[in-house]
Amino acid sequence: MAGELVSPTPALRGSARRTAALRLLRRRLIQAVPLMLGVVVINFCLIQMAPGSFLELMTAENQVSDPATVALLRKTYGLEDPVWMQLLKYIWALLHFDFGFSYRQNMPVIQAIWIHLPATVLLMVSSIALAVTVGVAAGVVASMKVRTFWDSLVSVGAMFFYAAPSFWLGIMLIVLFSVKLGWLPVGGMMKIGGSGGVLDILHHLILPTLALGLFYAAIYTRVMRSSMLEVAQADFVRTARAKGLSRNKVTINHVLRNALLPVVTILGVQMGTVLAGSVVIESVFSWPGVGSLLFDSVSSRNYPVVLGIMVLGSLVVIAANIAVDLIYMWLDPRIEIR
Amino acid sequence: MQRFEFLGRFSRNRGALVGACLILVVALMAVFASIFFPTDPLRIVGMPELWPGEDPEFPLGTDSLGRDILSMIVHGARATLLIGLFASAVATLIGVSVGAAAGYFGGWVDEIGMRVAELFQTIPNLIFVLTIVVILGSTLTNIVIAIGIVSWTPIARMTRAEFLSLRDREFVQACRSMGMSDFRIIVSEILPNALPPVIVLSSLVVAGAILFESAVSFLGLGDPNVASWGRLVGDGRQLIRSSWYICAIPGIAIMITVLCLNLVGDGLNDALNPKLRDR
Repeated sequence: MAGELVSPTPALRGSARRTAALRLLRRRLIQAVPLMLGVVVINFCLIQMAPGSFLELMTAENQVSDPATVALLRKTYGLEDPVWMQLLKYIWALLHFDFGFSYRQNMPVIQAIWIHLPATVLLMVSSIALAVTVGVAAGVVASMKVRTFWDSLVSVGAMFFYAAPSFWLGIMLIVLFSVKLGWLPVGGMMKIGGSGGVLDILHHLILPTLALGLFYAAIYTRVMRSSMLEVAQADFVRTARAKGLSRNKVTINHVLRNALLPVVTILGVQMGTVLAGSVVIESVFSWPGVGSLLFDSVSSRNYPVVLGIMVLGSLVVIAANIAVDLIYMWLDPRIEIR
Repeated sequence: MQRFEFLGRFSRNRGALVGACLILVVALMAVFASIFFPTDPLRIVGMPELWPGEDPEFPLGTDSLGRDILSMIVHGARATLLIGLFASAVATLIGVSVGAAAGYFGGWVDEIGMRVAELFQTIPNLIFVLTIVVILGSTLTNIVIAIGIVSWTPIARMTRAEFLSLRDREFVQACRSMGMSDFRIIVSEILPNALPPVIVLSSLVVAGAILFESAVSFLGLGDPNVASWGRLVGDGRQLIRSSWYICAIPGIAIMITVLCLNLVGDGLNDALNPKLRDR
């Protein structure tokens, strides 16, 4: 009994934290609803703004001439209804994950996206991992050796990769590592006719990851460097030094942990741009992901797929932002997120 | 006097000075493109696939059809810079309007403005641009507007923050007590004071817009009548085994321009916001 009175047990603190996290999660999910609704309405407006009837374009592009199919489509899309009714029907359909039917792939849109999703997720995860590792490491090095040769080298490198268009960087990497040196494959996800072993996929993953990830590595480097320098001046760092801790220990335990917060924020904000960037990179490397599907659908004016990818992409961004808020809470328990 | 102070602070940042000079060169290239290279850049003028330096008449070589790459780069500068500037202008116009209204009026105007900004930040930017361009058509105007629509949110947030800190200052209260209209207070009193950080952001948006446009053109969705640098990279892509320079050169042009714009943005930041210097 006495033990309980003396110190609040860690379990209690942990459960309080968990409740706070759950409350935050609930609030964020409620906030996400109008946001998603907005995305859907923008989508719908775009369809309405398309020159000519949506149906005409779709049937023309997909060479559907059978009158029965056209009538069916007309009914599916409810084109005789007033606009507000069409919007409601559209929202209703999306709520059931019904994004329409893609004639090009001859399957529902959601299924077409689902098939291509793993490749994109793999590329995004590996690129973000590269960007965070390289960016944080380079930023820490630059901040510890501030105003030296190493600092300048890191800054110049970051400036270079921040300005280089990712698709161009990808092509140049192909020229160097595939065409000239012959070390890495030009594109694709696995050897033609290969079974797709882990090593084979990793081999194909290197160049796209570099092309997509280095741009973000440059951003994180700059953020990490300035954030490290800022935190290093905080009072608690001086206290830690005054306690007699070594410089490296202070840097790792006190400065680094706090300096990571802005990087985490940016990571969440940029999830959408990483996804968008993968569209271009997948096109350069013939990577069979959602980006390739989007590019293919864009060229063939396959609207349902394009719009479906836009809605799902927005969903991913919202989810990523919620995840970032939770990570934030874990990294810095002092922060109360509204 | 103030202007000299500004120039002095700007030129103290060596990177910004170099960047500004190079941007000036690119801009002059764009303006005088038809004087340097009076013939159509898309005309076939020599042997195909001449490497840079192989023929002194074509210092940057020729592409697969025998068109002069230097001429295409110089003419492409015009399209690339114009798209960047106009897209940034569109983004600044939307961003400043929304941000000013949200920051000045507060309340539900602020709430709606910021929710809309959040909405536009949620949709993956390039995917949104591609969707707009595909549905509404690949014209220069549509591309510029699409890039503007995905780039205005940071400007709106910045403008809002400035307006929030300025709207209750004495000089604004004085104007209000004189009976000045809200519109006039916003435009002629608060806006000039809020502009410096907005200008910095706008210059960075130009760089971002150039990257967006190059990606759109690279994917083959640019305006077919415009040979921007991104399109040149896309065109050269088929020949990377034999003549990779066709791809490399326009990419370097994009990179240098974007790099310089970023440097100028940093320099403007130092010069316009002295408080933030040495960060």
